[in-house]
Amino acid sequence: MTPHSSSQPGALGRAGLHLVLLLLAIPYVLPLIWMLSTALKEDSQIFPREGSAQSALALSNLIPNPLAWHNFPDAMATVPFVTYLRNTLLLCFINVLGAVLSSAVVAYGFARLRFRGREFLFMLMIATMALPGQVTMIPTFALYSKLGWYGTFLPLTVPAFFGVPFFVFLMRQFFLTLPLELSEAARIEGATEWQILWRIVLPLSKPVLATCALFQFLGTWNDFFGPLLYINDPEKYTLAYGLQQFMSSYGGKWGQLMAASTLFILPIIVLFFAAQKTFIQGIATTGSKA
Amino acid sequence: MGIDRSSFGKRQLRRLAFLANVVVACVLLAWVAVPRAEPRVFPERIPVRFWHMWSGEWKIVIDKIVMRFNASQNRYEVVALSVPGGSADQKFLMAVTGGDPPDVMAQWNQVIPAWAESGLLVPLDTLMQPAEWAELQRSAYPVALKIGSYAGHLYGLTTGINVFACYYRPEHLEAVGAQAFPDSLEGLMALADRLTRFDDAHRITRMGFMPAGFNMYAPIFGGGFFMDGRLSLNTPRNLRALTFLSESRQKYGFENVLKFESSLNTGGFATEWPFISGQYSVAVDGQWRVEQLAKYAPELRYQTAPIPAPQGGKPLAGFSNGNFMIIPKGARQVAGAYEFIKFWSGVDNPERAAEFYTWGGWLPLSPRITMTAPYQAYVRKYPQFETFLNMLSSENIQPTPPVPFQVLLTDRIIRAEEGAIRGSGSPLQAISTLEADVAREIARRKRFGL
Amino acid sequence: MKRSYLGYWFISPWLVGFLALTVLPFFISIYLSFCRYDVVSPPVFIGVQNYAELFSNDPLFWKSLQNTLLYAVFAVPLGIATAFGLALLLNLELRGMSVYRTLFFLPHIVPTVATSVVFMWILNPQIGLMNSVLGLVGVAGPAWLSDPRWAMRTLILMSLWGVGGSVITYLAGLKDIPISLYEAARSDGAGAFARALHITLPMMTPVIFFNLIMGIIGAFQYFTQAYIMTQGGPQDSTLFYALYLFYRSWRYLDMGYASAMAWILFVVVTLTTLVVFKTHRKWVHYGD
Repeated sequence: MTPHSSSQPGALGRAGLHLVLLLLAIPYVLPLIWMLSTALKEDSQIFPREGSAQSALALSNLIPNPLAWHNFPDAMATVPFVTYLRNTLLLCFINVLGAVLSSAVVAYGFARLRFRGREFLFMLMIATMALPGQVTMIPTFALYSKLGWYGTFLPLTVPAFFGVPFFVFLMRQFFLTLPLELSEAARIEGATEWQILWRIVLPLSKPVLATCALFQFLGTWNDFFGPLLYINDPEKYTLAYGLQQFMSSYGGKWGQLMAASTLFILPIIVLFFAAQKTFIQGIATTGSKA
Repeated sequence: MGIDRSSFGKRQLRRLAFLANVVVACVLLAWVAVPRAEPRVFPERIPVRFWHMWSGEWKIVIDKIVMRFNASQNRYEVVALSVPGGSADQKFLMAVTGGDPPDVMAQWNQVIPAWAESGLLVPLDTLMQPAEWAELQRSAYPVALKIGSYAGHLYGLTTGINVFACYYRPEHLEAVGAQAFPDSLEGLMALADRLTRFDDAHRITRMGFMPAGFNMYAPIFGGGFFMDGRLSLNTPRNLRALTFLSESRQKYGFENVLKFESSLNTGGFATEWPFISGQYSVAVDGQWRVEQLAKYAPELRYQTAPIPAPQGGKPLAGFSNGNFMIIPKGARQVAGAYEFIKFWSGVDNPERAAEFYTWGGWLPLSPRITMTAPYQAYVRKYPQFETFLNMLSSENIQPTPPVPFQVLLTDRIIRAEEGAIRGSGSPLQAISTLEADVAREIARRKRFGL
Repeated sequence: MKRSYLGYWFISPWLVGFLALTVLPFFISIYLSFCRYDVVSPPVFIGVQNYAELFSNDPLFWKSLQNTLLYAVFAVPLGIATAFGLALLLNLELRGMSVYRTLFFLPHIVPTVATSVVFMWILNPQIGLMNSVLGLVGVAGPAWLSDPRWAMRTLILMSLWGVGGSVITYLAGLKDIPISLYEAARSDGAGAFARALHITLPMMTPVIFFNLIMGIIGAFQYFTQAYIMTQGGPQDSTLFYALYLFYRSWRYLDMGYASAMAWILFVVVTLTTLVVFKTHRKWVHYGD
């Protein structure tokens, strides 16, 4: 479990670990490989024809021949791809910014500041996650309607700026693990709580901040129901909405459907891969905390 | 925590970068918060908002119809919005509750009685002249009025009925020496046995015919769920229908059939219909397949015939549903909505509307439309359509019962069929459970004052 | 005194949002649970009839509750154990680890609607991947989602597929454990397993606690996969509480009844969460 130094497993141990990881990874990756392979098939190849007993595991089945690359541009052509992408990126950017910032502030309040009713309010916040959204959907919708926000992006962006309970909870757990001496020292030197939050706590919390940013991005990227409900202008719809439209209409065009799904998840894969550095803080930084 | 001079500049830079981000975010937020008008082709006209659930190829057809309507007059502009099918009802209901519903919606789910009961829909007969309404009642196909009506009023006007019949491959029949399509259900099942093929592992590779759909076969056996104006579930004829469905499946083994069916592409509008690939010799499906087959498998040799009745059953019977145009209460442009509905369904101009029906492969509202030249030309082009048109006038076609709890009833009927064909209970048990469930629901509604 | 008010300032974003956007809908939905409400007509007050009806006359209420509890009891602990174990593995320093991490995280990012379709195919009794693989070793796979005995088990197993999200939170937590602790333990002669038990595990308890609470809340609201893949079947074996709630509210237009169901769920989940919260100090170790 140590990140470095002399207990690094030997070559044999390393090979063994690779094997274990690969074996474990198979059930996780196989469905996605299958998805990609279906995206590259002609529709006629996806289902077995009369009299044939096709094994799904045959290599001929996993690597289609010919490769139907046209499924991808075909899928992109059926929805206003660029418009949807633009809207989705916009919503993601705003939501990530709002959610991470506001949640950090609120979490710091719950973690490091004492005030009357703190435990109660925290429990209350957790409790708000326990009610199924189905039943508050209508009153919430009516509320937004009365505010005149129906048909705009506002119901899809403003709530993020009021703290997201999931993130507040997660961040609070992390803030609580930070040693008190650091903030104590700063307080003695005359720093305000706000400064402590921004100059000490947040820089040390990059992993959890990045985690929350990723989750929020993912959540907004995948959200189709919000746009479905609140938007009536086709120019404002998002990629998730487009995927849903695809699913409900092209029943039968499985190749294109899988192509659309693959395209849909591609940006997140890239984002995650690139952002891993932030979860995986440099050893030096971790060490310096000791 | 003294300020380190060397990193002072860096800190300033970071702060500036952060501020810049905040500014950008605010600008973007402001940009999205400003409501902008939806794009309009005829901005000077009165907008009529139309929601529907068609997408893909079908959306193109809808857009064409909308364009025709807009071109045919200059008072209204219909603005169409395609909403994903699975959640369209929710969006619609929310919009109504929120006080901002569309003006007209094309609906194909079995919701008219439930929504009418809740006062959600505008009765269309009140928008018609008395003479118009009388004429419609006289001339329209009975099933069209049955599906769209509730409690004596018309709430949905159809722009496309669906009926179901058998499609079959003559060469399969010829290969086993059958000269003609059987004229009884018993005959069909005997033929099916000869047509079904197995492989060495006794897995089904070709299915002769596998009946399914309790709501389809109850009327065929002379039963039905709504008789004499009342719900009737546990009747001898319905039981016979359910038993028939159960026995047909158990004959080959439920697991076996399940495995076979799951290997097929069963999308409703899929162009990879298993019938085309020869995995069914006989298959029951809707009339839209005719045009699909012409487009995607023009060289396929096939015939159609109504599902033959069993002994003591009824001919030209089965289940039906369709697309219906509804106007929600609270719609702002009721008159405009009704104009659009009239235009599309062909109530006052059958000749013009006949074309629309042909574009979607839909069955028309009334014989007046069927008899127009454009539609007759369509039928000549696709002669198999005749089978379905003949069924339209039949009194034995039954839609889902017009009760307010229609959706729950449908769910429970599906469960009953599931239980019976799986063999986890006898058909009698399944149908009794269905009856009990529904009775419980009716009692419940009474207790709640519904 | 100043301390006390400062805290309120910090949590004010949530407090304001809560009061402005959350409280009103909450109270309205409580009121609706005492009403007969079909979404379109105005609600009619009927007292506790919804609740009475649920407890005494609705076998599906009990069935769905039972299904959901069954799912929660198995999926939550399995999910935590799997995610934690994976995180430990993925925290090792090995070449290509970032690739592995991405692989395990991938399922979490695919939208549920797509994964549901993919899994319906993989679990296809005739041509699915799963039964083909089993066929290779001579086992005849069941009809997974179409078999009342297997459908729930399948869904529980499927939930393990999406643990990538939790793994990330554990990874972030693992990175926060000071190395000095490990070094001290090693110089004391502790082996890898002992180090894991006495350092890693206790230091990770705050994150485990988080995932436990979120897991419970999530399990009780499990809905989407059942909605897309099984629609509650076969024979109501996967009729989850949230799914039945959805049917009652949007299919049968019985929103008052569904609101009552929602508030019953709320009470159950909150009580469970409270119990976990009250006892958490015993096993959760905040670093200081």
